[in-house]
Amino acid sequence: MIELIDNKIDKEVKVELIEILKRLSSLDGPSGYEREVIKYIKEEVEKIPNTKSQIDRLGNLIVRKEGTGKKIALFAHSDEIGFVLTKKEYGNYWRFSTFGGIDPKAVISQRFRIHTKDGGIAIGVVGMLEPHLQTEETKAKVPSFDYLFLDIVEGGEKVSIGDIGVFSSEPFLLSEKYFTGKALDNRVSCVTLLYILELLSTFIHTTDIYFVFSIREEDGSSGAKTVAYNLKPDLAIVLDVTHGDVEIPSYPKIETGKGPALDIGPVINYEYLEKLRKLAEKISVSYQIEPTGGVSYTDTDAIQITRGGIPTLLVSLPLRYMHTPYEVVNIKDIEETGRLLSSFVTRGGE
Amino acid sequence: MYLKELTELNGVSGYEKKVKEFIKEKIKSKVSGLEEDTLGNLIVWKKGKDNKRLMLCAHMDEVGFMVSNIEEDGRLSVMPMGGIDLRTVIGKRVLIGEKEVPGVIGYKAIHLQKGDQLSPPSIENLKIDIGITKKSEAENKVKVGDFIAFSTESVINSEWIAGKALDDRGGCSILIDLIENDIDLFYETYFVFSVQEELGLRGAGIAAERIKPDFAIVIETTTSGDNPEFPESRRSTELGKGPAISSAHSGYVIDEVLFNWILSNTKELGIPYQIKRRTVGGTDARRIATTLGGIPSAVISIPARYIHSPLSVMNLKDYENTLRLIAKLLTKEVKE
Amino acid sequence: MKELIKKLTQTSAPSGRESKIREIIFEEVKDFIDGYEVDRLGNLIVWKKGKSSQKLLLEAHMDEIGVIAAYIDEKGFIRIEAVGGVSPYNLLGSRIIFQNIEGVVGIEGETTEDLQKNMRELNFDKIFVDIGVEDREKAEELVPLGSFGVYSASFTDLGKRLVSKSMDDRIGCAILIEALKKMNPYHNVYGAFSVQEEMGLVGASVVAFNIDPDIAIAIDVTGWSDTPKGPKRMSIELGKGPCIKVKDSASISDRRVVERLRELAEKNGIPYQLEILLHGGTDAAAIQRTASGIVSGTLSIPCRYVHSPHEMIDIDDVENAVRLLQVLAEEPNAL
Repeated sequence: MIELIDNKIDKEVKVELIEILKRLSSLDGPSGYEREVIKYIKEEVEKIPNTKSQIDRLGNLIVRKEGTGKKIALFAHSDEIGFVLTKKEYGNYWRFSTFGGIDPKAVISQRFRIHTKDGGIAIGVVGMLEPHLQTEETKAKVPSFDYLFLDIVEGGEKVSIGDIGVFSSEPFLLSEKYFTGKALDNRVSCVTLLYILELLSTFIHTTDIYFVFSIREEDGSSGAKTVAYNLKPDLAIVLDVTHGDVEIPSYPKIETGKGPALDIGPVINYEYLEKLRKLAEKISVSYQIEPTGGVSYTDTDAIQITRGGIPTLLVSLPLRYMHTPYEVVNIKDIEETGRLLSSFVTRGGE
Repeated sequence: MYLKELTELNGVSGYEKKVKEFIKEKIKSKVSGLEEDTLGNLIVWKKGKDNKRLMLCAHMDEVGFMVSNIEEDGRLSVMPMGGIDLRTVIGKRVLIGEKEVPGVIGYKAIHLQKGDQLSPPSIENLKIDIGITKKSEAENKVKVGDFIAFSTESVINSEWIAGKALDDRGGCSILIDLIENDIDLFYETYFVFSVQEELGLRGAGIAAERIKPDFAIVIETTTSGDNPEFPESRRSTELGKGPAISSAHSGYVIDEVLFNWILSNTKELGIPYQIKRRTVGGTDARRIATTLGGIPSAVISIPARYIHSPLSVMNLKDYENTLRLIAKLLTKEVKE
Repeated sequence: MKELIKKLTQTSAPSGRESKIREIIFEEVKDFIDGYEVDRLGNLIVWKKGKSSQKLLLEAHMDEIGVIAAYIDEKGFIRIEAVGGVSPYNLLGSRIIFQNIEGVVGIEGETTEDLQKNMRELNFDKIFVDIGVEDREKAEELVPLGSFGVYSASFTDLGKRLVSKSMDDRIGCAILIEALKKMNPYHNVYGAFSVQEEMGLVGASVVAFNIDPDIAIAIDVTGWSDTPKGPKRMSIELGKGPCIKVKDSASISDRRVVERLRELAEKNGIPYQLEILLHGGTDAAAIQRTASGIVSGTLSIPCRYVHSPHEMIDIDDVENAVRLLQVLAEEPNAL
């Protein structure tokens, strides 16, 4: 077992990380429709030596770095929020519904990519009625989804009920440290897993490590739960995102750029959390503590009570503006989380 | 009966260790086997005449809070653990974390409330005072993530007990009593002291998965509503009227065979009993029933008042009759 | 098939007390199956062997919503609790049938004001069942506490449309029975008639555990949008064909199931609709999450006035659903 003592990240690796994140953010994969995202991640994984990858019958991607010791599985869900066409009005107007919790304000005056059944892309717009035609009453409220509609400006003849859509934001580096785009919930965790996989390729380890890119987190964690059932790891570490840089009363402020947020609460195994914390201090990884008094609303909840019980940890990357077309993350948090977890799993979680 | 001791222990959902250790001490020499799983469930068993397995289940956890933030002025912000009614928590003593640091839940004096005293407190307004005025000092005593339990002392006499966590230390006490009595068990009987029931029935299912029982009976402490303010027609149970047998609750209708079997044995015993009237609320039975290939389950409860608050009340006659009923059931074969 | 639907829907079998309907269903299918089992929770599972090694699970739930007698007052009026998603608004003015007697649902209202308020904000505290007796003892004899009741509402044949209580999900049961009778399966087909769906997908949570099928399809009713000022974001119409569900609020169908059902429907000239239901879920949600995961979807029948005593379906949708399931079971490459 060789320890990771180098704590500076290669500039080349950093650029590569950003390119992969860009690609992941621009791929479309709402819950149940993650195929393209999973396919791309598998391609990237296959570039890394000593990995075995497999897509299970539901569509989860499971990568293994074989070892003879303790079985540790890292989970990151690959699905994003999205939209589905539910009813045609006249002309190019369509009603729609959502996958996951979305604020109508995030949808107004946005453009959408819609995947048509013939494999093409249609473009739709959700507009806001011009103010001149509105009354004081309508101006005072944000319309709910019952009052919104898509105006399909391109490919209108090709769309049909059941077609899936996403925000059509294009990801980019906002500044030297910050990256923005859609679906960073949870693609930022997916790229972190890839980073850990990359880091581990330079070690020898006895731990039997699994990287699970799961699907359907927004569909009751049905992807992660079923993988956990099959794998029954000795420890499951879930990577997800949490709200960053926002004031929540009675709550510690989790900040971007200050490292991963380690969750504490009933869905977490305290012994492993203590070990993770101690390791973070030892190798100077900054981290934050996030309290959760009940279920966490991440894949952790389902995994913990699967198959006779599995010890779990939840590690979250701070993210701004969750479930909007331009979520924002700090690249440093990917690096720090990668450093911490690669070290942790190499040591078998000790 | 260990109601006084059990209700004075701290075991907020996810942090049931102290309760578990107490129970373990009492029963470990009296069972054929003992196991603890990763979530903290305590599973013990005793052999019976028949090889089929009966699982009894009572949950160890109680509602409480968690330290969510340490404020600049040294007071602690909280988040709820389980379905706690915030109108019940003002002016209560609490104990925080493994070290059981004492604190109080204070609130703005009525003189200062501008006539607003009938509005329920919000979680953001609830702060725990541990007698420290600086954040840095507070951080030496407690940390974010520490559990917070009410430190209610129980008052008990020959008829009544008033204390916290009767839901479901009442059930836990029954299980201990059953283990300690030398009952002629029909089935191989598993006594499960489960965790995290208050957070969504999280512990019982994994225990059931390990045991693979043929039947299960959940022993709960349940709602009543028998007071002068609540309409008689909408009460759930009444204290003094005996154990409550559930026909259905949130997420599950009780197995018909088990229900009828329990009812006929109850009538034979000649004790007072009631069919639980309301179907609100759920128990571990839902979780157990939907485990593996399905496990038929039933629920027998001791009625209590004011559960999910720091102070509830139970009639000890109901406790005794519930114990008698279950003790009898353990000697019987489940038959149509 | 109308006779079968009438027989099934007119049976009283609420969640948790399905033995009567299970017997009737078994009688209907027993001559057309290769084996059966009743599992620990009361689910009825039947099967027909096929030539391939693949397993197809088709599922419908046997239970219907109902009520439990919770309390009886001195004058013999019965207070009830819901079993499944029964709305008090649907109970008001309806009849409930218990094992031995029928009753009418009434509402409290000491003053005109009270009555109006109760009508606007109706809940179970304000209603009761009147079985026409004068005292508690007589009432308890007829309706013991903890006993179950269901809607009392007749079956009506309007030609293309049928109306009855519990189309949800006896229509699914009827479709499954017919499909099992007609099919000469290529694949191994399991037909599961589940319990307690209305209590929260209880039976379905375990029914697939020992089968581990390659694909599972739940057959249930869905909502509707084709009545005056019906839900404006949905597009579900009676008579336009059975619905291949894309998503509802409990689960997202596996896209391969959606695509496969569409292909088969188009290839065989069977009308269909693609369905997104905004509020509601089916047993597919539970089956999908069984053990190591099952590829699942739902085939739905558009149904008006779901969970009321008078649910309406279109017989053509039903017959087309049977055809589609038959094709799925018989087509060699269907899975």
